[in-house]
Order: sequence, then structure tokens, then C-alpha cells
Amino acid sequence: YSSSISFLVPFQKARSGQRVLFLSWFPFRARRSEKPNWDYHAEIQAFSHRVQENFALDLLKTAFVNPCYIESEEARRRQLGLDKDAVALQLQDNTGLAERGLSFARAYLAQCFEGAYPELPAKGIEALVNFLTSQELVSYVAQNLSIQDLALCRDFPAPPDVLQRTFLAVIGALLESSGPERTGIFVRDFFIPQLIGKDLFEIWEVVNPMGLLLDELTKRNISAPEPRITRQLGVSTVLPVYFVGLYCDKKMLAEGPGETLLAAEEEAARVALRKLYGYTENRRPWDYSKPKQELAAEKAISSN
Amino acid sequence: RFLTAVLHNGVGRYVRQLQRLQLLFSPTAADARGARQFVEEAAQDFARQHPDVVLYVSPRSGPGPAPVLRAEYLNGTVRDELIASKTSEEIVQLATKLANQSGLDIIRIRKPFHTDNPSIQGQWHPLTNKPSILTVQGPRLQPQ
Repeated sequence: YSSSISFLVPFQKARSGQRVLFLSWFPFRARRSEKPNWDYHAEIQAFSHRVQENFALDLLKTAFVNPCYIESEEARRRQLGLDKDAVALQLQDNTGLAERGLSFARAYLAQCFEGAYPELPAKGIEALVNFLTSQELVSYVAQNLSIQDLALCRDFPAPPDVLQRTFLAVIGALLESSGPERTGIFVRDFFIPQLIGKDLFEIWEVVNPMGLLLDELTKRNISAPEPRITRQLGVSTVLPVYFVGLYCDKKMLAEGPGETLLAAEEEAARVALRKLYGYTENRRPWDYSKPKQELAAEKAISSN
Repeated sequence: RFLTAVLHNGVGRYVRQLQRLQLLFSPTAADARGARQFVEEAAQDFARQHPDVVLYVSPRSGPGPAPVLRAEYLNGTVRDELIASKTSEEIVQLATKLANQSGLDIIRIRKPFHTDNPSIQGQWHPLTNKPSILTVQGPRLQPQ
């Protein structure tokens, strides 16, 4: 009855006339929907309550139907020898919803970052958005919301691309049923916390930070930075440390450590870029409160 | 391992981590009396208060194992709690406790605090608070 079933496996060739019984006890891996106590409708309803959103339940159910599931189900029905009319499932798959969800999430995130980090160039914003909508991250989020139990899919366990598509389809379903404002808050609440503890250059790979810094400084009409060793330690040992400061017009722009002079200079350039873009480690945390001004504006409009 | 929340839960919005609660009990056994009482009195209220948890009530016939409250969490943890010879109120308390847990392993807390960025000023190194060598080894002005 339980999720783990004990198997009694009798040994075929008994040694020395004795019959040996092996008791193997391992968790029985099956879809949650194949185990006892599963009510799909109730689970879907509980999902929409869990994420605190009002979904149109039909749309939400459509969002969980993957095309691979429809294919495999129809193939199975064909194997069982049903008629052609009975083979076709009256189900819509989530392709359209997933596409809509992906385009909305990308557009919304890009708009958010443009508002929050106005100095960040388009390439950096694109890197952040790509990171947040990557298969790895979206499927991780989906797994921790237990999407894999609800998603209808051919393979078990559900592969990451199916999880990503399903989660994006959920966003698409929310967009259809509650409008862009609620969906924006949903996207923000589930994606942007994933940036906590991540560095800008972990996400955005810049090969030549010094060149980028020079470009940025010429845009701002600041003279080229002058690197200088500010501190050094253990130069003759195997573990030297250099600190390189970048000076513009005799003012220190940034200082960075490194094991060699080149590495220290590169690190200093990265520190300078982070300062310029406003994406330092001690930046102000993201504001997750509800947009009150817009609500107030709406009220004002409706009262007039 | 330090204390963490699944998916930074609560930074954006709070998502209840308990997704499913199964109440498995015998309809006749004596030690499942509290479980039966819970089904009659409190199960509906519990389900109404927690719309985000799916509550399954399944009486299993015959003298089966002891009554059990089986909690399934979003991260895949399954936790069984024995409710043999517990009263209805105790079961309500236990179910509420399960609903408020995250499903992560319960660990001993060695420190009551944790941060990903251990120092605001930066880590200490031998050159912290030392003047830079430019000021030390630079061209010195002649004392006048």
C-alpha cells in the first residue's frame, strides 16, 4: 500500500539444499499519478491556490498537457486496436501557451532590469534574461514547485525541457486568465529571487573586461584608467598577492586583488564595471512589494 | 548545511511546501479512534483552511498497520507520522505542524544566523587597514 514496496525474491538455485530468501526493500519509482490517492482535478486546484493566483482551470489543465504525452497516448490507443475516431484525443497541447509565456517572461524581465539597472548595457540585460529563462534554471524552479507530478508527459522522470515548457505554459495560462499585471508579479516572484547571491560576471561572461571598461569610460567622457600597483605582498614567494588600483584623473576608480599583475588588473576592471553598472554586491535588494502607485492611480481613475 | 528555504521561499511570495496529506486509518481498529473522530469533526475545517493542500482520507479495510498521517512535500520528501491512539485535537495540531514545515531535513542548528556574504567590509587579509605602498615607498618630500 505504501510508496515503497518490499519484494520477496526467492533464490533460484538454493545453496546446500537451503532455500534462501532475499528481502530487498527499495522505493518503488513510479509517477505520483500511478500511486494510490490521486485526484487530478483537486491537485490542479491546489496548485493554483498554492501559487496564490486565480487561474482559469481549463487553461491551467491545458498548460500541463505536453505534445509528447498526446503522441504516446494516441500510439498506445492505436496499439490497443481502437478505431480512428476513438484514437484522437480531444486535448490541446501547451505549445502556444509556452511560447506566449516565454515571450512575456523575457519581455517583462528585460523591462524590469532596464528599470532597476539603467546603466547596464543591452548585452548585460540579455545575459541576465537568458540566465533566468534558461532550461537549467526554469526546470529547477519547476521541480521545486512539483510540476513534474502534474505535467502529463511521455517520459518518467520528466526531462528538463518538458519541465521548462510546462512552467512557461503555466505563465502563459496565467497571462490569459489574469492579465499581464498579475503575471508580471508572478514572474518576478519566482525568477528574480534566483539572482540572490549571484555575481554579475558569473552570469554574464565578459572575456576582456578592460576593453569593455575603456568603451564605457569613453562613452562617459572620462579619460582612460591608469593601472597602478597599490599594495603587494610575498612577491618572491609562490603565493604573491597584488592589489591594482585604477586611477582616472588621479582619483581611484576601483581596486582589485589578484595572484598576478594581469589578473589583478582584470579584477580591478571588473570591480570598476560593477560600480559603473550599479550592480555591486552591496546594492539595494530588489523591491518585492506590490506596485502601490499603479493601484492608487487605478483607483483615482475609477473614482473619476 | 545551513538553514535555507526552498527556492528562496518567502522572498517573493510564500508557497506552502506541503502539497498532499494522506490520512490512512482502519475503520474499525481501536487505536484509530482519534483518526475517525478527526475525519468526522476537523478534516473539513482543515481542508477549508488549507486550500493549497490536497487532503486524502482513505480508510483501509481489515486489520492493517497503524493509522498514519502521510505528508508529501513539494521537494519530494514523504514523511509518515504515526497517529495511533491520538485524539482528534492532537491530530489537528500535527497536521498543522506538517503543513507549516518545508520538507527539508530537520537539522541541528549550530548557529542561529547565516549569511552568504560573510563580511560587509570584505574579508580580512594582511593588507587590511594598511596604507598603500605608494604612500610608503613613493618619493618622499624633504623635511623642511
